[in-house]
Amino acid sequence: MANESIIAREKFNWPVTILLLLGLFTVLFPLYMTVIIAFKQPSEMTNDVISLLSFPESWSLENFREAMRVTDFWRSLFNSFLITAVTMVCAIVIHSLMGYAVARNMNTSKFYRFSYFYVVSGMFVPFAILMMPLVKQTAQLHIDNMFGVIVLYVVFYMPMNVLLYAGYLKNIPIALEEAAHVDGASTWVTYWKIIFPLMWPMHATVAVLTALGTWNDVMTPLVIMSGSGVNTLPLAQLNFQTQFGTNYNLAFASYLLALLPMLIFYLVAQKQIINGVINGAVK
Amino acid sequence: MAGLSLQHIWKKYPNGYEAVKDFNLEIDDKEFVIFVGPSGCGKSTTLRMIAGLEDISSGTLKIGDRVVNDVESKDRDIAMVFQNYALYPHMTVYDNMAFALMLKKTPKDEIDKAVKEAARILELEKVLDRRPSQLSGGQRQRVAMGRAIVRNPQVFLMDEPLSNLDAKLRVQMRAEIAKLHDRLGATIIYVTHDQTEAMTLGTRIVVMKDGIVQQVASPTVLYNKPDNIFVAGFIGSPQMNFINARFDGNDLIAGGTSFEIPTEKVDVLREKGYTGKTVIMGVRPENVYDAKAESLCKLTAPFDAKITVFELLGSEVQLYFDFAGASMSAKVGQSSRASVGDVMSFAFDTDKIHVFDKETEQAIIH
Repeated sequence: MANESIIAREKFNWPVTILLLLGLFTVLFPLYMTVIIAFKQPSEMTNDVISLLSFPESWSLENFREAMRVTDFWRSLFNSFLITAVTMVCAIVIHSLMGYAVARNMNTSKFYRFSYFYVVSGMFVPFAILMMPLVKQTAQLHIDNMFGVIVLYVVFYMPMNVLLYAGYLKNIPIALEEAAHVDGASTWVTYWKIIFPLMWPMHATVAVLTALGTWNDVMTPLVIMSGSGVNTLPLAQLNFQTQFGTNYNLAFASYLLALLPMLIFYLVAQKQIINGVINGAVK
Repeated sequence: MAGLSLQHIWKKYPNGYEAVKDFNLEIDDKEFVIFVGPSGCGKSTTLRMIAGLEDISSGTLKIGDRVVNDVESKDRDIAMVFQNYALYPHMTVYDNMAFALMLKKTPKDEIDKAVKEAARILELEKVLDRRPSQLSGGQRQRVAMGRAIVRNPQVFLMDEPLSNLDAKLRVQMRAEIAKLHDRLGATIIYVTHDQTEAMTLGTRIVVMKDGIVQQVASPTVLYNKPDNIFVAGFIGSPQMNFINARFDGNDLIAGGTSFEIPTEKVDVLREKGYTGKTVIMGVRPENVYDAKAESLCKLTAPFDAKITVFELLGSEVQLYFDFAGASMSAKVGQSSRASVGDVMSFAFDTDKIHVFDKETEQAIIH
């Protein structure tokens, strides 16, 4: 009898269930709205709540076709993809190397300890403060283009990524490196053959965090590349906002299209990310 | 293979802590030398200095005829087995073993031959394509050994390689390592805090304490003729019994009993001026006898003591008792009928009494 009541209580943990349902709702509702609005025609966008929440009259892909045309989808997608991919690769290579150097030396060297805190403190500087000087500097250096945006992204994501890599490296026993040294490997070889492959879960975490940030970012390309005629997807999506209003149907269709590559990437890297987060958190 | 020479080796850390002090040792080719001592005695630090993983603060280290103080570990031609094995988790057993040879750019067929030969010796042939995480503790240990063997280095260094194994596997692997030494004819330096490993494996043992070498000798010499109280107490289990005793010019007197010692030992004590002084008498538990039982050796005068602990170890019995203000132990035959609380009569083998100076703790006679 007592056992049954315990099981019953565990089955119906109402507070947790309600919280989970609320969480689910806050995730699914905006997604639902995005999907149905993306399929609706502007004429279906009324102030009536019922009709706003209802399914579209017809499931036409016309909005998607139009959104792709307006945003010059394939070109913008290519630009976004190029910036994201190059930033991601640079972040993984440069930030992991830096994290390795810092993590392995910060306990014995003041220089590395200072470097670590200096780099990580960059996380607390808001982009808005840097924006104007950066616009001016990139223009002066003639890197107010995709290259400049990539350089800035690599720098912007450095604090967080170095923090993540340095933390993760604490879990990789130093004895592995010592074994590699005794086996005849130089520090460089040890890094690439032993340490770099062992950091795969963290590479995946860094890749997703960096890729999501760069893929969705509007501000940096907007202020750095404006007037260059080169658009990334989020920049192209600004076309839907005019001074007379926003075409939500086209905008949402475009957002869905832009969401897909990241969603696929996330699903592929998901297993590694969870490993990375857990390994980073638990010693 | 090659010998090693460690001359006046010191290890001093920036905070001033001296981990190894004036370490001197000549190791011959094909020797199996054991560094043994309690935690923090500097044995692993010395090994790591030989491996090139720690800088040598001062002194000269030679491998063969080459001074290697400033040579990087990768160029020292040594192989090391780590306490936690340090196997590369993302590589298969084969790749783990082949890694060093691949770095040397050895031809693939030679690598394959070397790895398979090592795998055959260590019975790892069936697990060559597995990752370390899929292996048992014993197999991992063997892979770590295999990784060292394939390189055919001048010197093998082993840093407590058996300490992560369970007791049974440890005994088994200990025998394997001894066989391996005979088979490879390798120069091996082995660090352990387990004196059983030290006694069974080593051709010579280096006992260390607080960074200082206490004694370098063969296991037999170390056991029978320890240089000082530390070595006498460290080697042997249970440890040697120590009692304060006064030398009256003929006998050693402790707890109201006169213990007779051989004439030549008496002469030495007299010559060295210990008459009337207090010394430390050392007797190993196996040299403490039940005075009433028959014995083939010459025993001292008996003394009575109350048994506080009785431990049956299968083939023998360990008895613990207090005598002359010291806690003592005796190893007696399995047939002993003694039990806790009984008063028993004990006696020492007169020839096996060690005497140490009370001040310097150095051995006077064995």
